[in-house]
Amino acid sequence: MKIPVGVPILFILIAGLSCADIASPSRNDAYEWRLIQATGPGTTDTLAFHWPRSRLPVKIWVQDTLNLPADVQSGVDKWKAAFLYGEFDGVTVADSNVADVVVRLGPVLKVEADAIDLHGAAPECEGGTSFDLPPGSSELQVPIRIFINPRFDPASPGVDQCLALTATHELGHALGIFTHSPNATDIMYFDPAVSELSSSDRSTAELAYHTAADLTVAER
Amino acid sequence: MRDALLAILILGTLTQPAQSQMDYYGRLGVTWSTKLMRDGLVQEIEVKPSLAPTVTLGASLPIAPTYRAGLEASFTSSGYHSTELDVQSDLGTLRTGSLLLNLEGPVAGQLFWRAGVGLIGYWPADDQGIFLQGGAARFLAGAGVDYRPPLLRNWDLMFSLRYDFHRFTTDELQTRGFTGSQGVQRLSASVGLARARR
Repeated sequence: MKIPVGVPILFILIAGLSCADIASPSRNDAYEWRLIQATGPGTTDTLAFHWPRSRLPVKIWVQDTLNLPADVQSGVDKWKAAFLYGEFDGVTVADSNVADVVVRLGPVLKVEADAIDLHGAAPECEGGTSFDLPPGSSELQVPIRIFINPRFDPASPGVDQCLALTATHELGHALGIFTHSPNATDIMYFDPAVSELSSSDRSTAELAYHTAADLTVAER
Repeated sequence: MRDALLAILILGTLTQPAQSQMDYYGRLGVTWSTKLMRDGLVQEIEVKPSLAPTVTLGASLPIAPTYRAGLEASFTSSGYHSTELDVQSDLGTLRTGSLLLNLEGPVAGQLFWRAGVGLIGYWPADDQGIFLQGGAARFLAGAGVDYRPPLLRNWDLMFSLRYDFHRFTTDELQTRGFTGSQGVQRLSASVGLARARR
């Protein structure tokens, strides 16, 4: 018996065309990430920011003390892994003068008068991220400054882990997640206790990077 | 020792006719693919491989007077990218390798058809994004036609068109809550040399 040439080709074509697409998840576990600022009596402004692709990889300078460089690198890797389409990448640089983000050990300093300050506080350490947004401007100035501060002797139990998860938490702010999650299971909870990103953290980061940004970032 | 020599002699005698009837070929071409996935994240995002240079190697043996069975391996390497609101973003390099077990038969003159099933593997250059947990291996079905005009006494030119279909997903996509899989269709055109069957 001779099989007509069209039969196998037609069979595969029909099989290919009749199948449904992959279905994407809802991401309805995301939390609010934008900064809602009062602009006057009864008026607010919602500010969203993400690093544009043209600025990737984000250049990060880290003070070489304790385990901070490794903690920050781990945080960058975790946030990078949150994205499916290469939305974020970060690289550490040796010179703070060329950095987009500067990470230092120590108490949170208000470097710029108009800074937006975001704080996170775990029992053993605290952290803060400071954004410089001049009045009337929609352009964030760089560097964005992150401070991570141990509350006890760094050798004390739990401080090392606290510094690591706080570094990841503060990097989340520097990525553009301006607010805190209401859930203690998320790294972006105001008093973070988990060391890994949750599904909610990932969904929030994804939404932040696929929603139009109101704020841009200045050239270094 | 004598038994071993005898075995080699018998094997050589048996495989000689098979070798003389074996058809083998190599081709170079390009492969076009439909999207690997779509994601309804705020706006629709699609991930798709770019047009990929392709190397194909194959061999077949007769199994009936007009039919042959063969294995065909194809390798592609290209970039892949996401598209969102008509903006493309490069995602790196993606390699694929496929192996098809084919049935082959004549159409007319120097035109032949083939159809088969096999496997396709995806190997990204970097384990990131949708490939964060590594590549993927999937079942594959394919079909195509070959045109083989004689070139030299022992060699034919070989022009080939191929279509294949598989369903794509990755471990990372499944971990992230994507359900089902994406139907991926590929078309390739290639040219090469085949050992003459004359």
